[in-house]
Amino acid sequence: MAPDVRLLRDTLELTLAADDSFPARFYQRLFADHPSVAPLFHRNSTGAQHKMFAQKLVALVDHLDDPGWLERELAGLAASHAGYGVTAEMYPWVGGALVATLREACGPAWTEAAEQAWLEAYDRLTRAIIAAPRPQ
Amino acid sequence: MDPRNTTDPDQDLPWLRSAAVVTRRIPHLVLAWSLDEPGRLGETVPVDRELCLGRGDPRPDDPAPRARLHHMRPGSLIARPPIAGARISRVQLLLEPRGEDAVRVRSLGRAVVRINGRPIVDEVAAIHDVVEIHNAALFVVVSRPRELPTTAWARFDFPFAGADPYGIVGESEAAWRLRAACAFAASTDRHTLLLGESGVGKELAARAIHGLSAVRDRPLVARNAATMPETLIDAELFGNVRNYPNPGMPERPGLIGEADRSTLFLDEIGDLPEACQVHLLRVLDDRGEYQRLGEARPSRSSFRLIAATNRPMDALKYDFLARFTHRIPLPGLVERREDIPLVLAELLRRAAARHPGLAARFFERRAGVLAEPRLAPDLVVRLLRHSFTHHVRELERLVWLALGTAESSYIGLTPAVEAELAAAAEADGLAAAAPATLDRDALVRALAEHGRSPTRTARALGLKNRFVLLRLLKKHGLSAATDGEES
Repeated sequence: MAPDVRLLRDTLELTLAADDSFPARFYQRLFADHPSVAPLFHRNSTGAQHKMFAQKLVALVDHLDDPGWLERELAGLAASHAGYGVTAEMYPWVGGALVATLREACGPAWTEAAEQAWLEAYDRLTRAIIAAPRPQ
Repeated sequence: MDPRNTTDPDQDLPWLRSAAVVTRRIPHLVLAWSLDEPGRLGETVPVDRELCLGRGDPRPDDPAPRARLHHMRPGSLIARPPIAGARISRVQLLLEPRGEDAVRVRSLGRAVVRINGRPIVDEVAAIHDVVEIHNAALFVVVSRPRELPTTAWARFDFPFAGADPYGIVGESEAAWRLRAACAFAASTDRHTLLLGESGVGKELAARAIHGLSAVRDRPLVARNAATMPETLIDAELFGNVRNYPNPGMPERPGLIGEADRSTLFLDEIGDLPEACQVHLLRVLDDRGEYQRLGEARPSRSSFRLIAATNRPMDALKYDFLARFTHRIPLPGLVERREDIPLVLAELLRRAAARHPGLAARFFERRAGVLAEPRLAPDLVVRLLRHSFTHHVRELERLVWLALGTAESSYIGLTPAVEAELAAAAEADGLAAAAPATLDRDALVRALAEHGRSPTRTARALGLKNRFVLLRLLKKHGLSAATDGEES
């Protein structure tokens, strides 16, 4: 079943409007739980990384109902992730930190349905990234 | 309905058709700061009907046609990609034009919206008001035509919002009007007078005129008339033969001889004594005849004089003024407020290029490359609302003050910058309420008595500070020495 796209967009907009430091808190949580991923993020300054993360997340959620755009974008992400040294085991770490940070930012507005929608959407996207052909 | 469509049959006349487009003004929202898309400053939303502004592509459930950002330049209006700011809702604002210079702004999205710092739900934003989408974007309201007319300026080979090949920064209507005037003057060989307050960029305009002219391959001869000692002005301008007026004096061509078949730029021409203005009359006529000191026969120089002054035109002798075919007024920053963020970005880029320490502290890096400055929106809001008296020079000083007093890695509104802006704003009020006895003549006398020093003159007149004096001078079309010139 396709995730509830409207619910995903609503919760993400709510998070970004309510919490200016959402990207920062996401990375704090990720690096605290999985310190081994921190060295992968050395190419950009912290502020630039935070902006790129928020923009990419919003763009992905905005295009969940646009398969052509998603296919192109996820193939590009797969290639760049491979270049940074991202491995398949890291995707669940990132997903866990993302959903936990969203849950915290949304507060009482976060529902079981929202949790389910995010877990499903994230799983769908990361499976597509992992399955995408990688440059040799 | 396309506002260019009209039932007025006269507007079908070819000489009125273009005027109907370029004289009909509508409100625009010009991007002045963006968290996620700092490379899009200066892009404009023409609000010609009800529009919704938000993140991403148009959606079937949009409450009105979607606002698009555009690159607006003479003769072109190029639509840009949809807004990608992560913190901007998909439908964030509903915009509706109110006359030619105001916009009704309704907030429909999740982000807080402010006008001039005050949260709003449904308000009218007037010209020069700042519309802020919290922590996402700032727009300044301006009034512009639907299109900018094509002009004599033909060089568009520089990035949108960046400095043109002559260093002029700006995409406002006033900036393009200035470029058009420079290009037209450059296409002729007539003497040109640049008029504008200190810091508006008169030297850049002079370099643009020379750079666009037929003599651009020859060097521009530039000199500040205010720095020439009064007794040596004629020798500086006209040159002298060897051993004149004293034995051992080398032969000198003078500035006019040096500028033969090229351009002579004389800044601060208003400081040239009237007697010297008279001496220039003959050489400024068509034949370019002049005499070097100590030489009986006349010489000729085929040069174009570009003169600049921050004084009113009537400060020049009438027949001297009459020699200047082109008179180009340079707009101050308050006349092109939407360019303030662009000039600010350019100043920061130059500072970062020259000072790697500043770049490391205040700029983001993407893939190891220097990217945008970490600029706090509160500073941009205040600068957009500030009444500048020394324009780019004043903005540059405020930028350095912000950099020097920053307590974090963000360039923002520090207490020192706030105090400077507040002092200037207070000075505006005090200048407006200055006693009637402080008329133009009294100011001219006081300046002369105190070597044109703003600090000393302000003190002597019993004004609170030099800012009050500077605003009074501006009101009367006068100027003092700039800070660096004070002795």
